[in-house]
Amino acid sequence: MSLLKPFSKLPGLCTANILLVESEEQFQQSLADALMEETAVTVNVRLAKNLPLPMKNEESRPRIDLVVFIINLTSELSFQSAEASLKFLDPGYFLGKVCFLVTNARNASVPTERLDAVRKLAASLHCPLLFAEDQTPDGVTNATERLLTILKVAAGLVPMATALYLSNLTRCTVPPDIDQPSFD
Amino acid sequence: MDPSDNMGALNHMVEAVALDNGPAPDSSTGQKDALPNDMLRIKQQMSNQCFEMAVQLQAGKSKRSCSTSEAERDLPDYVKEMERVKTINFNSTLALHRMQMWHAIGEKLKQNDSEAVALKAVNDRCMALCSQIKQLQQESRDLQDEITEIQKKRLEMKRLTHEKMKEMEELMSKKGHPETEKYKAVLEKGQANLEKYKKMIIMAQNVLRGILLACKVNWLDDPKLRDIGMTLEDFPISD
Repeated sequence: MSLLKPFSKLPGLCTANILLVESEEQFQQSLADALMEETAVTVNVRLAKNLPLPMKNEESRPRIDLVVFIINLTSELSFQSAEASLKFLDPGYFLGKVCFLVTNARNASVPTERLDAVRKLAASLHCPLLFAEDQTPDGVTNATERLLTILKVAAGLVPMATALYLSNLTRCTVPPDIDQPSFD
Repeated sequence: MDPSDNMGALNHMVEAVALDNGPAPDSSTGQKDALPNDMLRIKQQMSNQCFEMAVQLQAGKSKRSCSTSEAERDLPDYVKEMERVKTINFNSTLALHRMQMWHAIGEKLKQNDSEAVALKAVNDRCMALCSQIKQLQQESRDLQDEITEIQKKRLEMKRLTHEKMKEMEELMSKKGHPETEKYKAVLEKGQANLEKYKKMIIMAQNVLRGILLACKVNWLDDPKLRDIGMTLEDFPISD
């Protein structure tokens, strides 16, 4: 099994590498364009549909600092694909180098159980759960800013802050009454 | 999406220098000024990576078969410990900054130019204010001491008054007691005598009435005899 390992390579000078995993391959493109506009740090964006990543790029791929799973709540396939990809990630990534990004959470056709399932997954892995709006440029910019903040910490570019510490502050928690019906 | 060629070359060169410990290649002559900064940055990133690897190893080492709830219970303790260490670190940094600032001020004063004069003036004013503060604090402390002394004296006075009042009450109750005893005895004797005499008088009156009736004297017409006869019930007998 080819696991993606966090520390098998050396970090690059003033560089941060982010991997966006999305089974629909839509939002990741606009997100990648917005992320590339960052000037203070060299951001390398790598896109993938799911893990495991192809072996032929193994040598040239730099150290991935942050893995972002983009889950579209309107499709069940998206969630299942993300869940299946989790197995190909080395456990070392879950100490703050994995993030879940959810889109279309406000859509009326989304069953509430899916969001609860995503929440439970993020909480069990102690990862932050971000909500993004992918249709407007403002939404893309907002999501980019938040991802950049986490990315800079995960890449070790922020002094006195490590990815594990930040994930402790931002990790997703499940409210105790999540299984009870909500007043929607 | 790949790093620019410049950065790539720099990266490889830094790695080469760090790992091989060999002489820097010739292409570095133009970038020698940026090299120490970049070395420091790459050092920081490397130390971050090493720290995270150490954390992961540590996590793997202490792998107990505990549930997440147990770990969650321990979490606040660890967070508290981290907060404590962070506070200590922050305080030490503050102290360091203070020392650095004082050193800078000292150096500036040694230079003896216009800014140094301004600094000295401010410094003198600070000293004057500080000595004034000290003096006022001393005065307030003395006044506070005096107040405390007076309060102590007042409390002492109160205590003494209280004791004296208690003594007085005791004395008064004691003095009343023997007098009432004697008084009681005399009173009882007097009352007994009174009763005896009352009975004698009533008996005498009854006898007199009997005599009057027996003599068949018309006592209604004579006022003196009527008085004697009618005033028999004025002396209630207390049994």
